[in-house]
Amino acid sequence: MSIIQAKHIQKTYNADTIPVHALNDVNLNVEEGEFTAIVGPSGCGKTTLLNILGGLDDATSGQVEIDGTVITEMKDSDLIDFRLHNIGFVFQSYNLIPVLTTKENVEFIMLLQKQGDDIRDKRAMELLKEMGIADKADKRPAELSGGQQQRVAVARALASKPKFVLADEPTANLDSQSTSDLLDIMAKLNEEEGITFVFSTHDQRVIDRAKRIVYLDDGKIVNDTTVK
Amino acid sequence: MLLKIAWRNVWRNKSRSLIVISSIAVGVWALVAGTGFMNGFMVSYISDSITYLTSNVQVHNSEFGVDKDINFYISDATEKADHLTQLPGVKAVSKRVLVNGMIASAKKASGIEIRGINVTQEQQVTHLDSTLIDGAYFEGVKRNPVLIGAKLAEELNVKIRSKIVLTFSDSHGEMVSGAFRVVGIIKVSAVNLNASTAIVRDTDLQSLAGIGNNYHEIAVVTETQADEQQIISDYRNTYTGDLVQDWKEIAPELAYASDMFSNMLYILMGVILTALVFGIVNTMLMAVLERIKELGMLMAVGMVKSKVFFMIVVETIFLGLVGTPIGLLIGYLNVSFYTERGVDLTEYSEGLEAFGYSSNLFPYLDPSVYITVSIGVFITTIIAAAYPAYKAISLKPVEALHKI
Repeated sequence: MSIIQAKHIQKTYNADTIPVHALNDVNLNVEEGEFTAIVGPSGCGKTTLLNILGGLDDATSGQVEIDGTVITEMKDSDLIDFRLHNIGFVFQSYNLIPVLTTKENVEFIMLLQKQGDDIRDKRAMELLKEMGIADKADKRPAELSGGQQQRVAVARALASKPKFVLADEPTANLDSQSTSDLLDIMAKLNEEEGITFVFSTHDQRVIDRAKRIVYLDDGKIVNDTTVK
Repeated sequence: MLLKIAWRNVWRNKSRSLIVISSIAVGVWALVAGTGFMNGFMVSYISDSITYLTSNVQVHNSEFGVDKDINFYISDATEKADHLTQLPGVKAVSKRVLVNGMIASAKKASGIEIRGINVTQEQQVTHLDSTLIDGAYFEGVKRNPVLIGAKLAEELNVKIRSKIVLTFSDSHGEMVSGAFRVVGIIKVSAVNLNASTAIVRDTDLQSLAGIGNNYHEIAVVTETQADEQQIISDYRNTYTGDLVQDWKEIAPELAYASDMFSNMLYILMGVILTALVFGIVNTMLMAVLERIKELGMLMAVGMVKSKVFFMIVVETIFLGLVGTPIGLLIGYLNVSFYTERGVDLTEYSEGLEAFGYSSNLFPYLDPSVYITVSIGVFITTIIAAAYPAYKAISLKPVEALHKI
């Protein structure tokens, strides 16, 4: 079953002056439980595509449907709420809230979902345990390594029980060991819990672990390979 | 948790927050202290004017209000004064004979008001005995003693036991003169009493004026919380035809000064808080701009704009909540210290006395000022937060996330 359906996505910057076509008629279906990497050279439109799939950016034309809901026609306020309940985000530079502890960062999303104290506390600790950083629950982000921070970011992304997780260059700032650890965790979540991951990356280590690789070049999908 | 984030955000950049908190505290202190000192001037000015000039309530013959003719005295003044003494809220009553005339010494002559008083009653109303800087309160001279103000004494170049002559028209329109001897020199902040009034015994003046045992004025001093209008109304229920006025009617300029000083709090608050707004806007704008990525992330993961707005506003309110009590406390201690000790402004006494102000200032603050100032600062912080908060919610998450 397709969880993401992107149809004829077009994204043009500076449409009124010198148009730059970031995405050109991109069609992409992502099935539930996929572990997909969107790859390509810098500037090929990976992040733009991910932003549009996540409802963070508007497509110039085309349609994005998430689990049967067309998000490209949604109002901003509805889209914020939709993202909160359906999409998990992992950013390249972690983007944790520096004034909150690790656990509070994970709980924060559930708080926005108006979940009760007990549920928040339990799920946050479960996720941190799953990420192998339960002992860092009371630490602030500044006290963690890059790899640990990114694991907190993944825990935060999963806290809302999203339909899928979008990860924009999640390993770009990590060393080899941290990258390997993070990929192990995400692969495990994908295999054991069926969580759908879509990455944008040009990190070969991520590409090597992906089950599906979508090649993007000059804003077009030039190859779409499923790894057996 | 939103409040927790807001509170912790305040302390992300300690030095910057402390600067804003300090500026709020200084602004609040300036407001409280400034208002206390201004109120001190106002209260002492009005209080002195009421004590020495207008009293709380005065009764006159209705004609005397228009034309200060010596024959427009109050009928049955003694009975009326006794009645007033019995009314609730009345502290003291004094009957006076008032005549406009001339005062002359060997050196100079000058136009003045001659006030004939009942020596004992007047002590309860104007406490003139406590304002003596030289001589005694109607003691030491048996025949025609007179009290004059220091300023008038200086102008006439007279001192204790000097002889002066008072001249005025009597009840028949004839010019009469009487020789008086200076028995005491008083000094009060009320300009009129200091510079252009001679105070003599009522009997001496009545005798010279030929008006029998009659009086032109009954001055009433009330208890602090007494309702002056109620006293006037009670009097009018018994006696009709007299002119009965409270101090605001007698000296509307005092009521105007009182209103003006009350409004000064708002003017001062407006000026200080406006300056504060710019400081807070600047700080909060910096706080927002350096957290663009984080704010973009919050909106990306599902934090609605109203909550982002609320968070920034609450952060600003927290700054005010820390700064305001500090400023209020310093202001309170400052005002209290000087309220007890007074501020000696003798250096400027000449200028101050020319306007009827005392050279010893006792700051005064009504407790409601603390509440007014707190509300003012609270509103200011909300106003100051609005623009940075608006800037924050105007961010597009995708653009904010990619800001360096």
